[in-house]
Amino acid sequence: MHPALLRSRRAFLADVGMGFTGLALGAMLYREGIAKAAPSPWQPPTGQPHFTPKAKSVIWFFMIGGASHLETFDPKPAVSKYAGKSINETPFKEVLTSPYLENERIVAPDANGQIRTRLYPLQVGFKKRGQSGIEVSDWLPNIGDCIDDIAVIRSMWTEDSNHGAQLQFHTGRHRLDGYFPTIGAWVHYGLGSLNDNLPQFIVLGRPLADCCGGMEAHRANYLGPKHDGVPLTVDPKNPLPFALPERNVYLEEQQAEFGLLNRLNRLSSVEYPADEKMLARIKSYELAFRMQTAVPEVFDFRNEDKKTLDMYGKGTFAKICLSARRLVERGVRFVQIYHGSNGGAGGWDAHSGLKNNHTKNCAEIDRPIAALLKDLKQRGLLDETIVVWATEFGRTPGSQGATGRDHHPYGFSVWMAGGGIKGGIVHGATDELGFHAVEHRHYVTDIHATILHQLGLDPHRLAVPGRKRLEMEIGKPIKEIIA
Amino acid sequence: MRATTWLTVCLLFVPSTAWAGPQKVDYVKDIKPILAEKCFSCHGALKQRSRLRMDAAQLLFKGGRDGPPIVPGKADESLLVKRVLGIDGQSLMPPEGEGEKMSHQQVALLKAWINQGANAPVEPVPPDPREHWAYKVPQRPAIPQLQNTSWVRNPIDAFLAAKHEEQGLAPAAPASKEVLLRRVYFDLIGLPPTRDELHAFLEDKSDDAYEKVVDRLLASQRYGERWGRHWMDVWRYSDWSGYRNEIRNSQPHIWRWRDWIIESLNGDKGYDRMIIEMLAGDEIAPEDPSTLRATGYLVRNWYKFNRNYWLDNTVEHTMKAFLAVTINCTRCHEHKYDPISQRAYYELRAIFEPHQVRTDRVPGQLDTSKDGLPRAYDADAKAPTYLYIRGNEKHPDKSRLMTPGVPSVLGGELQIEPVDLPLTAYYPHLKDHVVHDLLEAADREIRQANQELAKAKATRDQAAQKAKADPKASPDLELAEEAWSLAEKKVAIAKAKRSALSARIEADRAKYANQPSFKELALSAGAAERQASLLQAEYGLLQAEGALRKAQRSAKANDKKSQDALAAAKKNLDAARKKWKAAQDAMKSPSPQYTPLGKEYPRTSTGRRLAFARWLTNRNNPLTARVAVNHIWLRHFGAPIVENVFDFGLRSPKPRHAQLLDWLAVEFMENGWSMKHLHRLMVTSNAYRMSSNSRAAPAANLVKDPDNHYFWRMNSRRLEAELVRDSLLYVAGNLDLTMGGPDIDHNLGESSRRRSVYFRHAYEKKMKFLELFDVASENECYRRSESIVPQQALALANSTLSLEQSRLLARKLHPSAVKSPEFVIQAFEQILARKPSAEELKICTEFLARQRKLLSDKSKLTPSPNPQASKIAPASDPILRARENLVHVLMNHNDFVTIR
Repeated sequence: MHPALLRSRRAFLADVGMGFTGLALGAMLYREGIAKAAPSPWQPPTGQPHFTPKAKSVIWFFMIGGASHLETFDPKPAVSKYAGKSINETPFKEVLTSPYLENERIVAPDANGQIRTRLYPLQVGFKKRGQSGIEVSDWLPNIGDCIDDIAVIRSMWTEDSNHGAQLQFHTGRHRLDGYFPTIGAWVHYGLGSLNDNLPQFIVLGRPLADCCGGMEAHRANYLGPKHDGVPLTVDPKNPLPFALPERNVYLEEQQAEFGLLNRLNRLSSVEYPADEKMLARIKSYELAFRMQTAVPEVFDFRNEDKKTLDMYGKGTFAKICLSARRLVERGVRFVQIYHGSNGGAGGWDAHSGLKNNHTKNCAEIDRPIAALLKDLKQRGLLDETIVVWATEFGRTPGSQGATGRDHHPYGFSVWMAGGGIKGGIVHGATDELGFHAVEHRHYVTDIHATILHQLGLDPHRLAVPGRKRLEMEIGKPIKEIIA
Repeated sequence: MRATTWLTVCLLFVPSTAWAGPQKVDYVKDIKPILAEKCFSCHGALKQRSRLRMDAAQLLFKGGRDGPPIVPGKADESLLVKRVLGIDGQSLMPPEGEGEKMSHQQVALLKAWINQGANAPVEPVPPDPREHWAYKVPQRPAIPQLQNTSWVRNPIDAFLAAKHEEQGLAPAAPASKEVLLRRVYFDLIGLPPTRDELHAFLEDKSDDAYEKVVDRLLASQRYGERWGRHWMDVWRYSDWSGYRNEIRNSQPHIWRWRDWIIESLNGDKGYDRMIIEMLAGDEIAPEDPSTLRATGYLVRNWYKFNRNYWLDNTVEHTMKAFLAVTINCTRCHEHKYDPISQRAYYELRAIFEPHQVRTDRVPGQLDTSKDGLPRAYDADAKAPTYLYIRGNEKHPDKSRLMTPGVPSVLGGELQIEPVDLPLTAYYPHLKDHVVHDLLEAADREIRQANQELAKAKATRDQAAQKAKADPKASPDLELAEEAWSLAEKKVAIAKAKRSALSARIEADRAKYANQPSFKELALSAGAAERQASLLQAEYGLLQAEGALRKAQRSAKANDKKSQDALAAAKKNLDAARKKWKAAQDAMKSPSPQYTPLGKEYPRTSTGRRLAFARWLTNRNNPLTARVAVNHIWLRHFGAPIVENVFDFGLRSPKPRHAQLLDWLAVEFMENGWSMKHLHRLMVTSNAYRMSSNSRAAPAANLVKDPDNHYFWRMNSRRLEAELVRDSLLYVAGNLDLTMGGPDIDHNLGESSRRRSVYFRHAYEKKMKFLELFDVASENECYRRSESIVPQQALALANSTLSLEQSRLLARKLHPSAVKSPEFVIQAFEQILARKPSAEELKICTEFLARQRKLLSDKSKLTPSPNPQASKIAPASDPILRARENLVHVLMNHNDFVTIR
């Protein structure tokens, strides 16, 4: 029997009036765009995990431009030892004929994205850190303090040797294949809300430039725009588009308007008892009204103690990291954080002056990210929050010009922490030059698969009929790093 | 020997369970998927090579020309095993180029299954995919005979009523006049009725009151804008996108295609003709710029970095938009569901292979970066198309050249005839307006040079006066003299260029008219050009001499910088002398070499695209009309007849209303593919006039057909993004109805008052407000989604647009509505096109009183922390401000964004 028939008019009114506390947002919002496009036996996700989850939320850091694996988490003494020599003159010349080179898919010939053969020495020292003794770059002393909570994956590879790889890391597909739902959108699509006052997929930091994927790196594509990441600005006065009315409007005035609107819509919904869209709209207005205050509140740090504020340090990125904690604390599922957007290829794109570039970039992120890890841990949130640090590719062992490194898709490093990920381990390896990922190779979507696994989601069960996903697009969980 | 080696490999690699071990191999689970992947495309429903069919187990056991391929229990004796291994003198299956050979594991599974006895159930034989309903040419079905014809107003109703009878459903009661009027207004012109229009309709008691409205709306220019946007979704309209100023996708000025769409719809151009013009406007009307605009459809796919990507998009979306065939997967392999081969994909690509994109000049503008007509043309008739092995562009199969073709399952074939192009198509530089603009530009240059000369002369005269009075000023005079002679030279150059241009035009004209005078004219054009070059060289020489004098004057013996400058000036002078000498030498020997006005394009077009367009629009094409009808139906009834609007292939079962679809498709084709004819049929049907409220029908309907598959009521819909914005402006009387023209900056959406269809719409260039309401993805949007998210509520509640328009509308209604209830009624009629109910009237009137009270003491109120403010501030009078608030609430009302 149709649900609308089971409800009396009175009960229906009561339901509308009661709002939706306790209801999952994902189940609550209308899903017509998807549901209609599919054959009837298929149902959209319920918002419940498919199996017992280990984590609830994700904080996803993305370093735009390509952070050097060689100067962050994958030290290679041989690169310094043979510095100035051509790779052909070293015992490791076979890297230049490896079949792995075939994985590259070139968009257009370009001055960048070349194989550089003249080895360029490491620009920074490394120290063994923590109980685990994992080597971490001296440019990242604070993150080094947290290494025992981190699983470093040194064997990543991707296909695009240009900055379209930024998009690829988020969708799992090469830029030439088009646009696809991103990992954050899949999480949003698969899981219900933990907080009815906030969007569940939030983007902080200036997004990618148009060149490299733009907004598509946090969009939901065919899953529908309701699963898009919502970019917020760490500014309590103006955190998202249309977040607040202009200054000429009084909050009491607006509240009265929302009150009248609610009454009028409820009257209409009595006229149309089977109109679930009407119900969804009433609820969306209720949420919108609460978001107006809930969203600025997230960025209002007045209640944070001085010790915490000091730990994160100063500057925009520190505010972003603190906001990330406040967001997951309030139940937001996926916080995507960009670092290094410069309207172009990205701030980490050190084709020249790598030393200065990475010293500056590392200094910007090191303290805030470490503070976030410590802060999450001290509040018991790290167990249920997966933190990911990623970048689109590494940088060439060979030099570009006199002081830089080029794009390097064949082997690079990312790390994960929290949410049931083992700490203090290194997984996978590149060869002696840091050229190819050779041990436990992982394409970028293995990170996606690991995240979904920890959240209790089976990507195959999320698949939308008529939208075939490649196995490569789905990836496989990295079991070895799961606690 | 080879077999032995292979067996060793097999023993090493195959898990022991795959041999006849304890694990039982299951035909359906383990074997059939392998055979489906490797064998069915040649031994299935579509093809039975060697008379062998394998897509049902009993057919597999029966075998074909070579006898049964399987000997149960004896894998090594089974022909199938020998074939997949290519041993014992048997040719390898699948044959080279038709698929990868089976993996060791797959062979091992196959052998294990045979050795275990080759057990398999008797299966239903899959039907021939060519018999799929959508591949049959639509025939006009008989209109059903009904017991009760009272509900039937036209054949649409008859088809639906027959289904209602069959399902025991009763159609919903008609919608109220108000609801129907608002519905048909939005559906046909994308705007709500005004209060006057509402009153006029309510008062018109004639039988054809509604039909008159429909006719008026279909004749309105707004119709083309409304439906233009629908088709822009389907045809993937995109303005240019790129990184900063770099154009990466589509082209600037493609708005001309948008204008062509709107104009064509307003003129009710046949859909068949529209398809032909979009795909082959350059072949059917090569001299008509108005028609050439249509090829923006192809131009839109232009992609800077990768021709394959560009053509892939062209093929994929042409097939989806016009035929609802999903062809993209066949780029890499045979279609998994539909009877379409990988080869067919490349045959389709070959249709588009020769074409390229260029921007023609438009009258009044020579610089095509500022304005122009982007269009398609065939640039290279010989461009080869090769099948990419497994879709990999690094591995083209050069052994086989692909020729243009269409998937055979759709019937018909291409009748390709090359098209001879007229002169102005392959040599557009001789178009009258181009010649006119070129000459005018040359004249303008002369005028400018003369003005400069006059100025230089005046300066020189002044300097001469001064020098007379004060001999110390003589260096200034010298400089002024220099500038004067340079300006004189400039005039001479401009004049010489003008003569050269005329001569080049004459020569080009003679050349393309094959006139014998060409030789002579070429000589004079060459001479004129060299004359201009000589003058230019003289100018350079004068300049260099002047520069040297200046350097000499400021040179200091022990200042390295000034000495370097002097040396450089000398060097420049030498170079200028050489140039001048060369230009002089060139004058001495007459030559017919001259610079033509521009590049010549091919004189013929392959005719491939035209042939393809004619095939698409042939009466016997099974899909074109059905697909279009389905798109139009979706946009009137809120649900399509065929659920997946871009895939009518085997995954789309025969729809419930197949007869209705076919009747409409034939009706469409037999009425000149007139869309307005279809609109009129649909919106004047009784089906369209039903209420969308399930309460307007017997409760049993909801139980029998809760999803309204049988159209027993109307479906309500949310306004599309553009309509939300346009309506906000329109109900307040502020929508600017100017039509056409260049795309408006998408960032001006809250300040410009033009209709939304005219704003820039491209990757990363879309209006924020529209994006929140699910505006089309420029990449693919065969059907809009209708999300309901809080960001939409924020946009309607907090945007400058809605705040300003609510204030403006309230002020407009205010003077004529003395009492609150009057105002409430007017506001409801203006914004929601209906009167308020008694209860609505009551609570709104109360709200006005309460709000007025609240706003009379502002000292107790908290201003919003947002520092921004719109240009139109709220009223200071609390009565009016309360009214503004009410209008604002109604603009946020669910009914405002809903078509009931």
